[in-house]
Amino acid sequence: MIEVSIKKSYGSFTLDARFESGAGVTALYGVSGAGKTSIVDAIAGLNRPDAGRIVVGGTALYDSSRAIFQPPEHRGIGYVFQEDRLFPHLTVRRNLQYGSQRTSGHNNGPDFETVIGLLGVEHLLDRLPHRLSGGEKQRVAIGRAVLSRPRLLLMDEPLANLDSTRRYEILPFLEKMCRDLEVPIIYVSHAIDEITRFADTLVVLDRGKTLAVGAVSEITARLDLGPLVDRRDAGTVLDGQIAAHDTMYKLTTVSFQGGRLVIPAIDGTVGDRLRLRIQARDIAIATTLPDNISTLNCLGGTITQVSASRQAHQDIQIDVGVPILARVTRRSVVELGLEPGREITALIKSVAVERAAAP
Amino acid sequence: MLTPLEIEIITLSLRVAFWAVLFGLPLAIAAAWLLARTHFPGKALVDGALHLPLVVPPVIVGFTLLVLFGRQGAIGSILYDWFGFSFAFDWKGAALASGVMAFPLMVRAIRLSIEAIDQRIETAARTLGASHLRVFATITLPLALPGVLSGTVLAFARSLGEFGATITFVSNIPGETRTMPLAVFSLMQMPGPNDAILRLVLVSIAIALAALILSEALSRRISARIRGSVP
Amino acid sequence: MYVGILRLMLMAHRFGWAAMLGTLLCLTVSHARANSVLVFAAASAAPAIRAASASFTERTGTTVTVSGAATSTLAQQIVRGAPAQIFVSAHPRWINHLAERNLIDQVRQTTLLSNSMVLIAHRDSSLNTLNPASRSIAAALGKDGRLAIGDPDHVPAGVYAKQALMTLGVWNSIAERLAPAGDVVTALTFVARGEAPLGIVYRTDVGLSDAVHIIGSFPPNSHEVVRYDIAPVRANTSDTATALLRYLTSEAARPVFERFGFIFLPKT
Repeated sequence: MIEVSIKKSYGSFTLDARFESGAGVTALYGVSGAGKTSIVDAIAGLNRPDAGRIVVGGTALYDSSRAIFQPPEHRGIGYVFQEDRLFPHLTVRRNLQYGSQRTSGHNNGPDFETVIGLLGVEHLLDRLPHRLSGGEKQRVAIGRAVLSRPRLLLMDEPLANLDSTRRYEILPFLEKMCRDLEVPIIYVSHAIDEITRFADTLVVLDRGKTLAVGAVSEITARLDLGPLVDRRDAGTVLDGQIAAHDTMYKLTTVSFQGGRLVIPAIDGTVGDRLRLRIQARDIAIATTLPDNISTLNCLGGTITQVSASRQAHQDIQIDVGVPILARVTRRSVVELGLEPGREITALIKSVAVERAAAP
Repeated sequence: MLTPLEIEIITLSLRVAFWAVLFGLPLAIAAAWLLARTHFPGKALVDGALHLPLVVPPVIVGFTLLVLFGRQGAIGSILYDWFGFSFAFDWKGAALASGVMAFPLMVRAIRLSIEAIDQRIETAARTLGASHLRVFATITLPLALPGVLSGTVLAFARSLGEFGATITFVSNIPGETRTMPLAVFSLMQMPGPNDAILRLVLVSIAIALAALILSEALSRRISARIRGSVP
Repeated sequence: MYVGILRLMLMAHRFGWAAMLGTLLCLTVSHARANSVLVFAAASAAPAIRAASASFTERTGTTVTVSGAATSTLAQQIVRGAPAQIFVSAHPRWINHLAERNLIDQVRQTTLLSNSMVLIAHRDSSLNTLNPASRSIAAALGKDGRLAIGDPDHVPAGVYAKQALMTLGVWNSIAERLAPAGDVVTALTFVARGEAPLGIVYRTDVGLSDAVHIIGSFPPNSHEVVRYDIAPVRANTSDTATALLRYLTSEAARPVFERFGFIFLPKT
């Protein structure tokens, strides 16, 4: 669906990124300056790489070997920027409808009423942008891009300029949009919670280079991706299903490929798919099965990798059916003899498991 | 209050200034956009050339116009032979002289106004499928409107006051090229007091003031509508 | 393009630049005030005055600055206190204007030069001779040609031209067909560039361009005598200025003026 392979030199910084992705949401993750915005700008046609190719839906938008470069207005790619970039002299309605005459996009796109309903902007249609709050502006910006019937939607940290209240306001809209839209999305972010919430494919970038491309759950369990694993809140994303609810204790059981997890009750019916995130520092390791402890989730598994470290902690990859990451002190690693191949029990506190969703 | 002769002079001035601005405006907008939004080899030269009427003595501009647009001029002769159209000794020549002298003022005002527009908004429009032309017509021009307006008014006022280039290019023909400044100058050269001068001067000032006030009011209305986009 | 350049210079002067420059010059050289003279001269006479003054400078070492501009403009500047020491006017109207205000020394006022008016056409034009008295100017202008003259409202050459045309009874036939220029050199330029088929200028101006030639002349009695008067400006008079004035009105200056085509009037 989307193939990107570009090189661009910016003086001291060189971008050399390569990835492919299919339908759904592809997240581009990296710290500031990793080159994420340059990549999406190149996909949109807003900058010109030095060499490479960009193919979307089988059409080459850029190919340096064949001297192909489609200007942005012909690419049929919608773009939601970090700053809303609404047209200040047009009402919300006119802003939303600006791109709907596009001839180079999809022929069927979501219709106007659906989108404004989804984004909750019906009551704002006749206002001018300067009379909208930051969150409202960003919602309109998203609607505008979506209504231009793009064949690919780019979003460059659309929530970065919003304060946390506004972010949480928009996240549900975004999530629904990502699910309902039939258009592939490339979502740039350095915020782990956004990515784990929406993304299907994750591309990790570091200083202009692609470090890894793959499913979110698989990528988040790797030990070698610095930008991800060096975070204080590093952790694994798991895909699962609601198995049962315990109304008495207000707990929910979630089944996943590694077994079952008991977590504080969440909304949803049995069978609903969901995503969970467990931070590495919330997983403890025991070499013998403990008695009488409060932890409800004790999963047996085998250590597959141990990170090299001189610091106080080390990260351990454990296979419980799927890989998960745990973070323990180096002293414990030594004293318990934690090494690849060892069979252990991973202890995961219920209250530490987050649904990859708003609190 | 005003003699028929004076009314003729004022009407001629208004006509000359009106046409000078009308024809200059599309060119000025194009030039301003080119200077504000594009890069090409020789851009600095074009920029400098456009500003020449501002810094070069008006009579030199008038003389250049004579050489280029007179009946025997490089461009004027083509216009005359092919279209029967002539600027020489004609109010149209006065309009051309005014237009050329006022052109840099229009370009400057419009260019500043375009440069003040956040280009990121224009880029956003392109990602929504708008061609350069559509971006210009629906985004750039509407947002630049206050500058276009003030440039037009400035040019109009400058045209009303244009003297040196006019008298050198098309001379001082009553009814054809004797605009207010030329008429006042003639009157001033005759010894003795003259009420006609006072009347013409007052009318000039009144027209200029009215134009300025109108443009200021319109400009503010437009800016209010696009508040937040122009610093 | 000699006439072009000359015209440019004169036009620049018209707006008093040289007068301002001259003022600055005088101010900066103020310690040598005794050794320089500033002359305001009508544009059509300025080159000749300059040439005549050059001999004076050779002999005495006094710097002479001649500021040429429209007579009317110069007169206005003197009224407003310009530091000119000598004034050369192309028409009595303005020197009288200054005399009325007691700005010039009428005792030393002299009528210095005279000139005659000629009808000119472009060198390549089919018109070779035309007697203005024969009343065929209007016909010679063709369908939409104009007669280039100095603006009769305020340019001395224009005043004389209008008088001549009126005397000859042809004014009415061409009054609507004029191109009244800001000064006589511009009128000449219009003809030199082929923009106007005919023009009326001073005989002394014809030499400014080789693109024009004389096709007819106006009899001297068809207009007021063309008079260039010279007088000292009271407020700025000095011994060196007086010396220059005496030189310019002396026989020693005659050959220079006659070379330019002027009629030199002072009799010794």
